[in-house]
Amino acid sequence: MSWIKIRKVISGIIFILFILLFLGTRQMSVVLSNILLPFQFMPALVRTIAQPEMLFVAGLIFIVLITLIFGRVYCSFLCPLGTLQDLLIAGSRKLGLKPKHSFSKPLNVLRYMLLALTVTAAFFGSLSLVNLLDPYSIAGRIFAHFIQPLSTSAYNLGIAALKPFNIYFYPQQTAFIPLSVLAVTASFILLIFVLAMRRGRLYCNTVCPVGAFLGLISRGSIFRFVLDQKACSECVQCENVCKAGCIDPQNASIDMSRCVGCFNCLAACSKTTISYQRKQGQTDTDAWSPSRRGFVIGCIAAAAAGLLAFNANIRSLLNITSAKANPPVTPPGSVNTTRFTQACTACSLCVSVCPTRVLTPTFTDFGVSGLLQPKMNYEKSYCDYECNACSMVCPTGAITPLSLDEKKLTQIGEAELLKDICVVFVDHYNCGACGEVCPTHAIRFTDKENILYPEIDKQYCIGCGACQLACPTTPRSIVVHAHPIHKKADKYDSPVTPAEQKKPTTPDKDFPF
Amino acid sequence: MADTRKFNRREMIQKGLSLGLIAGGAVILGKPDFLLAKEKPVGLPDLVAVKNGEPDAMFKKAIELMGGMNQFVKKGQTVVVKPNIGFPRVPEVGATTNPLLIKTIIESCYASGAKRVYVFDNVVSPTSGNARNCYKLSGIEEAAKAARGIVVPIDDFSYREVRIPGGKTLKTADVHSLILDCDVFINAPVLKHHSSAHLSIAMKNLMGIIKNRTEYHLTGLDQCIADFCLYRKPDLNVVDAYRVLMSHGPAGPSNPQSANVQMKKTLLMSKDIVAVDAAATKIFGKEPEDIGYIKIAHAQKTGNMNLKELKIVTFAM
Repeated sequence: MSWIKIRKVISGIIFILFILLFLGTRQMSVVLSNILLPFQFMPALVRTIAQPEMLFVAGLIFIVLITLIFGRVYCSFLCPLGTLQDLLIAGSRKLGLKPKHSFSKPLNVLRYMLLALTVTAAFFGSLSLVNLLDPYSIAGRIFAHFIQPLSTSAYNLGIAALKPFNIYFYPQQTAFIPLSVLAVTASFILLIFVLAMRRGRLYCNTVCPVGAFLGLISRGSIFRFVLDQKACSECVQCENVCKAGCIDPQNASIDMSRCVGCFNCLAACSKTTISYQRKQGQTDTDAWSPSRRGFVIGCIAAAAAGLLAFNANIRSLLNITSAKANPPVTPPGSVNTTRFTQACTACSLCVSVCPTRVLTPTFTDFGVSGLLQPKMNYEKSYCDYECNACSMVCPTGAITPLSLDEKKLTQIGEAELLKDICVVFVDHYNCGACGEVCPTHAIRFTDKENILYPEIDKQYCIGCGACQLACPTTPRSIVVHAHPIHKKADKYDSPVTPAEQKKPTTPDKDFPF
Repeated sequence: MADTRKFNRREMIQKGLSLGLIAGGAVILGKPDFLLAKEKPVGLPDLVAVKNGEPDAMFKKAIELMGGMNQFVKKGQTVVVKPNIGFPRVPEVGATTNPLLIKTIIESCYASGAKRVYVFDNVVSPTSGNARNCYKLSGIEEAAKAARGIVVPIDDFSYREVRIPGGKTLKTADVHSLILDCDVFINAPVLKHHSSAHLSIAMKNLMGIIKNRTEYHLTGLDQCIADFCLYRKPDLNVVDAYRVLMSHGPAGPSNPQSANVQMKKTLLMSKDIVAVDAAATKIFGKEPEDIGYIKIAHAQKTGNMNLKELKIVTFAM
């Protein structure tokens, strides 16, 4: 089997598994996230820093190792955004929009500056650039913000069509994606579509921080593509198929820092002038110079960014400290807001698995330092007491795994009852919508002349937001305030012993009427 | 030209007349209950109460004492059985209607010649995941399907707005189309404690067939519950008081071990939704006068909460 075929099969399988990860059932997502995501660079890296776990550390080492040995094959085999671009490139070739690729000069200044900025910002606690540029997270958002809502709507339409035949299925809810977030995702889709269809893998070689970083490693990779200048007839067949635009037949050079390891050139070369072989001797120093210049500029940029980020005034201006007066509620397992915002790469996998759709990606709710990260959106939904799906799928450790029992006692916020607008206190009507839905018995009712007045026992409240969603008043009379640091709730013990259930009842024959 | 037009008009009148006749006939033939309701068969009880049996045996006895299922379901009719499936709880918690009872009711409907029997509830916190949990955990989905019942998961698009004639607070309601379109509506609630309405029985169970529940809570729960009965009363109410949740209702604890449940092993049946709620209140150990919506519904002449004035047949197994 040729290299290209192997690549197509592997990347195809991984891409399909990605689709299932985002669009499949919850159980599928939990299993797949633990198989696929340790082998995604950014999740593996962030997890290794935030909350090291064997598989993810191993995945990170694996990615670095294969890059050291084979070059940037990660970009063609494992990266879902890479495969998506390959599909677009193939489509564009079929349509005749871009039949041939050609060599282009590397945009090293831009490339390394973005990498340096991303690293510096992350180092100082803001993942915003990672969130915007990381290929896995972009792919995730494309699935979660566009493809899943479309597929869900199609499914709902499909099952609605079966209703007249008395065949019923459970409808599915569509995630709520704010317009601002949709706009960001849409812009990236547009950017990637246009770049892929016009310029091949330009995104990967200029914007993508993962590509830039792996490119630094693959400069010295053991196996590399070599163009034999003596045998080359300069037919430019290889250049035409090089999506990365990194083959320069005139100078018989192949820029390994930009080569995405697709193996197209090997098949295209009619004379086997191009070979994939072990590195022999030192690489030409000339080939290094332009890239080195870019690297130096990148380092200077990084230092400048670091200085900026260090400046406390600028940090507070940019809201990097995330010390907002009313921070959003973060999902159970995220432990505290700072930890969460510094580990979430905004892939929206949690958004796509959340069964109640309470997890909503935000634009700047976490400040500029936490772009696109998700929050618990209690105006739209509530957190299901019997669910811990988000903590089971989160690949970066932003939401740490919680058992269902732990989750049921994790206080992510606290409900507050506003008695000045609550209908029971204002109108003296029975309402009790909040108490009906409270899963932890945190809302208790006191009977005064047959009217039941709600009170909150805050020690039992876990901040799930069910009461806030059920409250009929506008604005809501019961609202959940976030805990910037999550707490532990008390376990509710029923004051009434269910004794009568246990003892055998002697069946009497009396009716009370 | 003129001739054809004349012919068309005549044809139209003919068609209209015949359509009207067919439609009118269908109403008479399809819903004979409307006509029979006035002249109640002599000797049949207003309310039946059975105790000390299993849910299926108690239902069979009660419906027999009530004059048989043929009184309510005729051949070829579509039936909706509306249990309480409001919460994701196992039957042992007593927050949902007993699945065996639902199964028995459906079987009984089919035995009387029902064409189709639908089962549904608009669960509390109706997200799709929660609805599925409620249907599954309560055991009702499985039990209903075993009896060939058509289990209908709710969605937002199946409701139609209706006007409530004489509603004091509740003027309109968005009612599920299955209820609006069915021939027979059987209300099959569970008797349980309710944190904000004292008790949830038959009238309260009707909040599961409408969509605008928020309005109830906002404008006065008791009045709205009573008002809705001015629009449509169920053709039969079967109250499950087999396992009664005595506190922490309407949801009860998710762990059945800590549920405060009494085995009352009782079943109540009546066409009068107010009477059946009043009787169930007594079974629970409270007085009907203390339950807001029962008092209001009685005052609005929806039914009779004075049990002494009713013909009640009891049977202890």
